[in-house]
Amino acid sequence: MPGERLACTRIVRTFLWSLAIAACTSCAGTGEGLDENARPIGEAPPTGPGSENALYREIQDTVFTPICVACHQGGNAPLGLRLDAASSYAMLVGVTSVQAPSLLRVEPGNPDSSYLVRKIEGTAATGGRMPLGGPPLPQDRIDLIREWIATGASADAATGAGLPFVVEATAPAAGEKLEVAPDRILLAFNSPVDSALAAAGTILLNERVDSLATVGTPDWRSVAVATVEVPLANPAVLYLIPAARLTAGRYRVKVLGGAAPALADVHGHVLDGDDDGRSGGDFELTFEVLGGAVP
Amino acid sequence: MKVSAILAVIIVAGAGLRPVAALGEPYLAVEMGFKCGQCHANPTGGGLRNLFGNAWSRSQLSARNIGAPDRAPWLGQVNEHLSLGGDLRADAERVEVPGAETTSELRLSDVRLYVDAQVVPGRLSVYVDERLAPGNATTMEAYARLTSATGSYYLKAGRMYLPFGWRLEDDNALVRQLSGINMQAPDEGVEVGLELDSWSAQLALSNGSAGGPETDDGKQLVTRIEVVWPAWRFGVSGLVNDADAGTRTAVGLFAGMRLGPTNWLAEADYVDDEGLGADGRQLLASLIEANWQIVRGHNLKITYEWLDPDTDVDEDEQSRSSVVYEWSPIEFVQVRAGVRQFDGPSQIETQNRTQIFLQLHGYF
Repeated sequence: MPGERLACTRIVRTFLWSLAIAACTSCAGTGEGLDENARPIGEAPPTGPGSENALYREIQDTVFTPICVACHQGGNAPLGLRLDAASSYAMLVGVTSVQAPSLLRVEPGNPDSSYLVRKIEGTAATGGRMPLGGPPLPQDRIDLIREWIATGASADAATGAGLPFVVEATAPAAGEKLEVAPDRILLAFNSPVDSALAAAGTILLNERVDSLATVGTPDWRSVAVATVEVPLANPAVLYLIPAARLTAGRYRVKVLGGAAPALADVHGHVLDGDDDGRSGGDFELTFEVLGGAVP
Repeated sequence: MKVSAILAVIIVAGAGLRPVAALGEPYLAVEMGFKCGQCHANPTGGGLRNLFGNAWSRSQLSARNIGAPDRAPWLGQVNEHLSLGGDLRADAERVEVPGAETTSELRLSDVRLYVDAQVVPGRLSVYVDERLAPGNATTMEAYARLTSATGSYYLKAGRMYLPFGWRLEDDNALVRQLSGINMQAPDEGVEVGLELDSWSAQLALSNGSAGGPETDDGKQLVTRIEVVWPAWRFGVSGLVNDADAGTRTAVGLFAGMRLGPTNWLAEADYVDDEGLGADGRQLLASLIEANWQIVRGHNLKITYEWLDPDTDVDEDEQSRSSVVYEWSPIEFVQVRAGVRQFDGPSQIETQNRTQIFLQLHGYF
């Protein structure tokens, strides 16, 4: 036994000395030949949901990857929250906070209620400010995260650049005169539509009524809509199907983006109908049917 | 009987029990040749100090005592069935980051309350570690522990800190950061422990979600085996976390030794995580720490840590060098002052910061 103990003592001493020598010879890297995140230059950038979004990509590259990922990565990430580029978006947006289950980690459109913002600002109800044990994030990085959330926390490139939810195309086109009445009206958006909000209450179909009483101020009467459909295959498109074939006349499709109820995308972006760069305002499409419906 | 005599009896009796460990930091265990469970209610260390731990800290750790000699000292035991304890850490910290504005902050960084209900003294207990600050109260540990009649093995079930390497007070140590197992990230599961003479071993099965919700069927197995002799100790740790995001495997070696007036700790960990990057990554971290107890109540701690976040990439390594002075002026109070220098690739400014801190640590 004494011999074994002596041998073990030597092993421990050797281990300690080896680490001490290694410590003296192991220095921090210089970063030479590496990119801004200390990864090899030319390495394919990691991708994941959100990587198409310019704001989010900047947050990932300047906050999550260089700072947060030191702990929040891999199979043992604290609270299961992985913030590497491949995982972060799915782990944050619309996901319930573990520490504060009444809040979402990121609530699109609402930075004040987003737990992520509270953690980095040090106002969270639970635990210390993040990054834990490190200096607070610079204010411009916090502002960047706030801006991304305020503009909808979208994963999409178009909306991700800070552009809100808008109608990108329609069929019929605006002002188009149709010989034959369409059996459906198509609206294409720049982001997937929240199908729960796509209903006759947020999308109106009207026919213009011209009479002596309304000269100079067109009057519109409601046209019954059979259904509003968001196809699963392409949720950025919406079909408005009238209950009956449209007769000759002037028509208007109005998509509400102002007061509730308003149409929004799946990220909570309310429609920017008046195209002023901010959520809000109604969208209007007018077209004319010259002939009647195809029998 | 005078207080000093009571404490002497407790310490002598406690030290004679042989499965013996530390208070607060493992270097104390190395110095004394104790196991963790000698001073802590938890056999794997950390959290509530037991009767011996409180008596030892009062009589051996602090430079002097201010308690009245004719009053019973606080030893943590309310009665045979209930023990209480706590930690409070308040920091003043200054951080200098290249190219950024220097920040300084006063903050209450940690307040813990520990409760150990000995339902059947020595055999069955319920333990709770509640973090009271910062923020709202959070249960960090809550488990029931059943101990064998001889005390040679136990079973824990509930939420707990997992056993891996040195249980350091500093959760931001690079080895703790790498393993992901520290006192900020408890997990839920069961743990079996063996305490045999100079051997100490644990095997834990947990969700592997570090306190987060379990989202897959995979589980984590963690083990830690340590041999403890009076002047040295050596151990191995292992971890396999089977997760949908990719299997994470870790192995570690750790050791401690008393060399003259100094106590040395060392740890080296290797992690292979399939969930990192496109094809997985291998990471390495190491720690070497020297503690010199100059006189009673005064300790100088010098630490060097090193982390390679991807063994396939050169020049991305990080290091952290620390010099910390720990002063325990009176019982249950510690003042820590230190400087930490972080070094890493120049592109990432925060990995090249300097941290200067002063910490008031009160415990009971």
